[in-house]
Amino acid sequence: MPTASGGLAKAPDPISEFFAVLAESGHLATFEGQSATLRFEVVDGDRVERWRLIVSNGDVSVTMEDGAADAVCRADRPYFEAMMTGRLNAQAAVLRGLLVCEGSMAACIMFQRCLPGPPGSTGRVAPISGATVMSQRRPE
Amino acid sequence: MSDELVQILEGNTFVVSDDRGDIEASLTDPTGLFSFDTRFLSRWVLTINGQRLTPLSTDDLQYFETRFFLVPGTGTVYVDSKLSVIRQREVADGFQEQLRVFNHQNEPLNLQIRIEAASDFADLFEVKDALKKKGHYQARVVDGSLVLGYQRETYARETRISSTADAVIDENGLSFGITVPAHGEWRTDLDVVVMASAPDGSAPSPIARRLGVRRDMARGLEKWIGRAPRLECDWKPLESIYRRCLTDLAALRFSTLTMPGRSLPAAGLPWFMTMFGRDSIFTSLQTLPFTPELAATTLLALAERQGTRIDDFRDEDPGRILHEMRYGELTAFEERPHSPYYGTADATPLYVVLLDEYERWTGDAKLVRDLEHAARAALNWIDEYADLQGNGYVSYQRRNEKTGLENQCWKDSWDSISYRNGDLPGFPRATCELQGYAYDAKIRGARLARQVWKDPALADRLEKEAADLKRRFNRDFWVEDGEYFAVALDIDGQQVDSLTSNNGHLLWSGIVDKTKARALMRHLLGPRLFSGWGVRTLAEGEARYNPIGYHVGTVWPFDNSFIAWGLRRYGYKEEAARLVAGILEAAEIFNGRLPEAFGGYERTSTMYPVRYPTACSPQAWSTGAPLLLLRVALGLEPHGDNLIVDPALPKWLGNLELLDVPGRWKRIDAFGRGRVDTDRHPHR
Repeated sequence: MPTASGGLAKAPDPISEFFAVLAESGHLATFEGQSATLRFEVVDGDRVERWRLIVSNGDVSVTMEDGAADAVCRADRPYFEAMMTGRLNAQAAVLRGLLVCEGSMAACIMFQRCLPGPPGSTGRVAPISGATVMSQRRPE
Repeated sequence: MSDELVQILEGNTFVVSDDRGDIEASLTDPTGLFSFDTRFLSRWVLTINGQRLTPLSTDDLQYFETRFFLVPGTGTVYVDSKLSVIRQREVADGFQEQLRVFNHQNEPLNLQIRIEAASDFADLFEVKDALKKKGHYQARVVDGSLVLGYQRETYARETRISSTADAVIDENGLSFGITVPAHGEWRTDLDVVVMASAPDGSAPSPIARRLGVRRDMARGLEKWIGRAPRLECDWKPLESIYRRCLTDLAALRFSTLTMPGRSLPAAGLPWFMTMFGRDSIFTSLQTLPFTPELAATTLLALAERQGTRIDDFRDEDPGRILHEMRYGELTAFEERPHSPYYGTADATPLYVVLLDEYERWTGDAKLVRDLEHAARAALNWIDEYADLQGNGYVSYQRRNEKTGLENQCWKDSWDSISYRNGDLPGFPRATCELQGYAYDAKIRGARLARQVWKDPALADRLEKEAADLKRRFNRDFWVEDGEYFAVALDIDGQQVDSLTSNNGHLLWSGIVDKTKARALMRHLLGPRLFSGWGVRTLAEGEARYNPIGYHVGTVWPFDNSFIAWGLRRYGYKEEAARLVAGILEAAEIFNGRLPEAFGGYERTSTMYPVRYPTACSPQAWSTGAPLLLLRVALGLEPHGDNLIVDPALPKWLGNLELLDVPGRWKRIDAFGRGRVDTDRHPHR
């Protein structure tokens, strides 16, 4: 898997982009009334890149400074990239042991809810006629 | 072979064994030790000197504890046994089993005790659908424990079995060569722990801890029952039905990962020990007058997982309330969408209904303020995402065509929605009860907006939309020649014209024009729908009617409890009392534990209600049904800071007292005396 390292470290990658979009929004109505700090540990071989997401009554800010957190989410870089581009479901990643969450589970679920849906999800589907439904059923 | 299944559970961990305490599962057999939707033991068989044991009796001590009294031999005639065995099992992070062997002779006994153990680590979905595993198995002996393991890529699960007494352990089980002194006893404590191995290579840990759940065993069943209102009734079976309901509700309580100290109702045992939007909401509505904390936790937990994005695989939309949450292997590998899955069209409007009903009972305006965004998002979902036909009605069609749910209403089997002639409509389907729920959500949302969120503009808009929906609904869904509401509109806007129990839910929702209510009542208590025990899901005479068809003729206690509530809402007190009578009498026959469904046979032809063949039990909303029926019979209705009591009880119930009903009035006692003649009390 490609890793952001060396001269490429400053280039936009899905992880920085994800946090940039969150920070840019500044406020997420979904989390009004909720406050939590999450630390993300993006494991890249021997290196660990840290991000902090601070939610305060719906206001959102992001830093790369270290510090205390209510929850820590740790995964290898490719898995974070997959989650942040909608290609890997965070809950599934936890069950498979790809994403480790420690501390407040409520905070971890807030992270999950910030993630995009799978690429190609349109929310639309073509109607199915009654005749089609009946033809799929064996006559009794 | 013993065929009685004994089920004990704690959270989502449960054991299903035969009445000897043995487990001998096959891929399709639902016995075993299950936790987090995974089977961790599929074989657990006790022998003494190579012989299986025979049960003398089995005691359910608590819902999480069972005791088996056994003697050697498998014959039907007991010899005068020289020894006996007590096996006591308690569910925890797996289970603990205390095994005691008693020698009743005057001389010592030498015995070979053996416990065979194995696991297939099946996902619950695999047990249901008989699928093949993709990972590999390993059994090994580590530090005096037998470790059964399963691994697929980074997904790893383990069952660790250890014993306090010295054992010879091999890959298939534990052996004990023992001598029991004359009139003495030998004992060992067996510990079975379910584990998830760590992704980072560190040591495995109990799965509950790995997934962030703290166990909360000391939940005190008596304390739970003690907090609920006390019930006294001249008809004594009601007291034991009531206690059975509270005990089963305690067993069905489920803690989410994020709120370990609190619990909400899981849907049922054994397949549904997880969070279901619809089931948790309906059960919370039923139990509000008795155990309001279940509703509060349900509201919080569902908000926490409310949809935020478009995800076709999970049928997720912003604002949508989840359908089902699972933790097994197929979910882990995204072969099933339950992480969580959102394919339900009713949970979202019902969420708002529950929030309002909760506030009316408890006066907990703080929770309503805390959940304002969630409620607004749910209301928005109704208009923005649920109107798939563009005709102003809520309808459903799955976007995940492979593993999503075809029918996203409570009658979710393939043939549950049909025309009179048995044909099935296409998709999207706009079933009628969904329109009722959406109407009620708007009306109740308006009340919350006006009184709690201080947003009169939203309240006005919701009320206007509700009135418009009601007007259109009463025109478009009304089947003129039958005088009832069609079960759905199809994709051409045509009525799916069969007569169903859904009409009762419409009364409950309030969407029915007053002028039409009488006709509905007559259908619900008429010969085509009413069996004598309760209202059938589908009316006799419809092409697909089948008295033991899952949603096409059986009687569902949960369904009936809401229908009774609906009849009351439109002033049909005595008619509601007839449903109360039928379902409570059925509950007595089922020893207080109502099944999910029972046969729709005419009462006079079978005398006893016939249990639906594969219904699971206890089922949360069946457990809640007698509780809601009590509310209906006593006519309990919050009115400001007061509780109105307006009883209409079956005559044979005699005096009924429900003491210390909790709510915004603190505690109030409710009394009623049976005055309604409900035909008969035939089975005595």
